[in-house]
Amino acid sequence: MKTINTRFGEVEYDPSHVLNFPEGLIGLDQLKDFLVMPNKKEGPLFWIQSVDDPAFAFVVTDPTNFFLDYLVVPDENERKKLGIDETGTCFVLAIVSISPEKNITLNLSGPILYAPETSKGLQVILEDARYSTQTPLPKIEKK
Amino acid sequence: MLVLTRKPGEGIIIGDNIIIKFIEMKSGGVRIGIDAPKDTKIYRQEVYDRIRQENIEAAAGWDMTDLDILSDKLADRTLKK
Repeated sequence: MKTINTRFGEVEYDPSHVLNFPEGLIGLDQLKDFLVMPNKKEGPLFWIQSVDDPAFAFVVTDPTNFFLDYLVVPDENERKKLGIDETGTCFVLAIVSISPEKNITLNLSGPILYAPETSKGLQVILEDARYSTQTPLPKIEKK
Repeated sequence: MLVLTRKPGEGIIIGDNIIIKFIEMKSGGVRIGIDAPKDTKIYRQEVYDRIRQENIEAAAGWDMTDLDILSDKLADRTLKK
């Protein structure tokens, strides 16, 4: 077991149980290994804590909870990086941020692909004008 | 920075396996074609920069009380699957 000092206090972890991003995050390629930290509160948000630089922790969520038609399918090259074949499971996660007005936004143009079988992740770039790095949640329609 | 002048149809070779071709000038832009190995990552720079910046900011803006409040708000609207 190893320990790192984070905003969550001292965290002990098993180095063989990390979420590995072989290429790091985009623009932050030094951040390769993360711990998945469940949020204390119930809900769709959870943290990934960087092992390489404890100052970095991201809140992530499953964007399909909010955007029903949001679908990111890894191509062959991305599957290779994730260590899975066409039959392998791949989930998509979005990094969450909070505006000064305390509104939540999702980075839908730079989602994370996550393969649970291999514990590998990959941040990809979608060049789709519908999605932004700070996509607000859809408005709730009153029934 | 190396600066070169190329005419439409001419190209540049980078390393052993990346070819950049200058195709045409069109409405104030330059169309280029890139031949590179499949695993070479190619992004428009402004898109890459935006995501890099968002990554940095997303890691910074949180305090734990914000997260608790948002989690409560969101718990209600998560779709049941």
